[in-house]
Amino acid sequence: MADGPLRGVRILDLTHVWAGPLGTRFLADLGAEVVKIEAPMGRGPRQFPVNETLGGWIDGGPDDEPWNRNAIFVKLQRNKRSVAIDLKTDAGRETFLRLVRVADVVIENFHSVTMSRLGLSYEVLAAENPSIIYVAMPGYGIEGPYSQRVAFGPAVEAMSGLSDVMGYGPDEPRNTAMALMDPVAAVSAAGGVVTALRRRKRTGKGAFVEMALHEAAVSFCGPWLIERQLGKPIERLANRHPKMEPHGVYPSAGADQWIAIACRDDDDWRALCSVVPGLDADADFATRRRDRSEIDAVISRWTSRREKRTAAGALQAADVPAGPVNTTPDMLSDPQTRERNFFVPLEPGPTSMPGNPIKMRGISSSDWTPCPNLGGDNAAVLKDWLDYSDEEIAELERSGVIVDRPPA
Amino acid sequence: MDRVLEIGGFAAGYCGRMFVQAGCEVVRVAAASLAPSEHGSTALDIYLHDGKRRIQTDDPKIIGELADRADVVVAETPAAEGLLDLGFDDWRAPVKAAITPFGRTGPKSNWSATPGTLLAMGGYTYLMGDSDRAPLTLPGHYAEFQSGGFAYLAANASRLAGEENVIDVGMFESVMALSQFTTVLWTCAGEIRSRHGNDFLYVSPSNLYRCADGWVYINITRDFWDALATAVERPELVIDPRFETNAGRMANREALHEILDEAFASLSTAEVLARATEYRFPCGELKTFDEVLQDPHLADRDFWQRVDGAHGRVASPRIGWRMDGSSPRPADVPEREQRHG
Repeated sequence: MADGPLRGVRILDLTHVWAGPLGTRFLADLGAEVVKIEAPMGRGPRQFPVNETLGGWIDGGPDDEPWNRNAIFVKLQRNKRSVAIDLKTDAGRETFLRLVRVADVVIENFHSVTMSRLGLSYEVLAAENPSIIYVAMPGYGIEGPYSQRVAFGPAVEAMSGLSDVMGYGPDEPRNTAMALMDPVAAVSAAGGVVTALRRRKRTGKGAFVEMALHEAAVSFCGPWLIERQLGKPIERLANRHPKMEPHGVYPSAGADQWIAIACRDDDDWRALCSVVPGLDADADFATRRRDRSEIDAVISRWTSRREKRTAAGALQAADVPAGPVNTTPDMLSDPQTRERNFFVPLEPGPTSMPGNPIKMRGISSSDWTPCPNLGGDNAAVLKDWLDYSDEEIAELERSGVIVDRPPA
Repeated sequence: MDRVLEIGGFAAGYCGRMFVQAGCEVVRVAAASLAPSEHGSTALDIYLHDGKRRIQTDDPKIIGELADRADVVVAETPAAEGLLDLGFDDWRAPVKAAITPFGRTGPKSNWSATPGTLLAMGGYTYLMGDSDRAPLTLPGHYAEFQSGGFAYLAANASRLAGEENVIDVGMFESVMALSQFTTVLWTCAGEIRSRHGNDFLYVSPSNLYRCADGWVYINITRDFWDALATAVERPELVIDPRFETNAGRMANREALHEILDEAFASLSTAEVLARATEYRFPCGELKTFDEVLQDPHLADRDFWQRVDGAHGRVASPRIGWRMDGSSPRPADVPEREQRHG
């Protein structure tokens, strides 16, 4: 586990897929003791069988424990512990409730009724521990006309309005196709947790925190939604910008290689003109907008003859905002990420994983632990948190209430 | 409650917005010289700064005095050196959060940046747009807002622990930290993730489909495949060997898209959504911002906050979370449990 300002905060993490586990990873990176409560049936999104993966296998292959090596899952679980427990059994439910009594936070992103069906609603948990902070992340919220819909990030994104501004033109709406709203919800959920913890410290009160993926998505689009109410037109501008000119993604040397360049103001424009020949340094914003096509053609001629990082470096030397359109190997080799040790090698492998964007005294990736094996901390957590004896743990294992591998 | 001093652009503004919504007193220091190219708008001002007190100054002495009296300072500058100019290191606030494009250290700490260049460098832009066209950037302020969220998280964690601390959040790193499986696809499978328009590709079918009166996005992981085939009245797809697995559906995606294009074309979005709810698969209708503002679900949930000002009254969205002492009552139990991302 990592050290950090959240040391001592105990979190029971029942989240799945992306938004929830990513949010709890941020909390674990800051020192919270996050215990994943996992279903014995396996791990990761149940929609994916344990022998299929979207992002490859840690250390080269599934080996004989694919549920512990699915890279997209492992990536999200560092610094956490794992207890695999069958909450549908009486003994499993009772054990979970005992954990709740000594926990600070319970977080889940099931459908709005799942925890109630398990007999583990907020009211039940609060009866066990009145100061518990319960964070629910239902897709569309617990109540409301859409609460029965099934929510996944890409579909929710469509409902946020984002495609009103994203796309190549008026008739070509685009979705990010990368579940953008999941990380939006993840950061929001982590913020909700610390807000509730601070409120509890002040008031002694627990809390029910509701964090709907849909609302996080719409909230993210707030500025455009207000623009519309102020009567401002909204356009799909492709890679253009309403207030920067030029602003675009330009081809660079090589197949499917690109560079992003933007001029925020006249100073940036003049700087660009000092690097890219053939441009009129005296052109004001209106002129640049009028002559956009010609200007983009001149810039493209210049960029297309240069390697993207070299071109970005030359432009940055003149203080022009520019950056290569990076792929993962580009990011891994970037001098900035290397200097700041952003990517962190974690076992097995070791495999480079994106690090923590928060740097502060008292936290360091040097004490990070990799994703735990399924149920890898069953005994340790039950002893540490609940003082269970070896015999009690053995009985739970014998009865299949706690496991360390999916059922055959 | 904390007294928070906020200095700078959209990232600091977003962080300050979260503090306001949490009930803290936020004073915003605004000056053109502090965020010279912010390209703000009335809408952004309403969204980010409602509920804050404001001081217009760029005098480091005044800012320093305010910072010394704050519990938390959130300062954003266009580059790392801007923090030094402000005197950031000398402020005596117990918790100080710096937000800069590339962080406070490293060879690019003073590089110039915009939201577009940060998304490009952080690996997002390459993934968005059509495979045979230039990648598409994401409009708006994703890198800044998410960085503001990280600063809020770190500042509150420090306050919770009663620790003094100095926080360094780089927007470039914020974007990279929020990658999906893009990074492990390379480090574990040796593949560079690519872009495919509206097609999520790696989970098939996941795409935007045109209906008789609009568009819907569906996202069909393994458990939802049978439900989709049934819902579009093509049950034979379930046993079609081309589409039995996600890998098969990926390999035969063009054929599958043709089938689904035809199936959806004759249905209204309301019909598709009703079937998605009945048969249980993820589906969302493509909404314009005007439609979002009229969304009955959001109205029913009292999602909007009213903001009055010279612009009249507008509805501004809440932040993502809401907090009460008790849970709302869940609606009727559906036929099947489902999880979401």
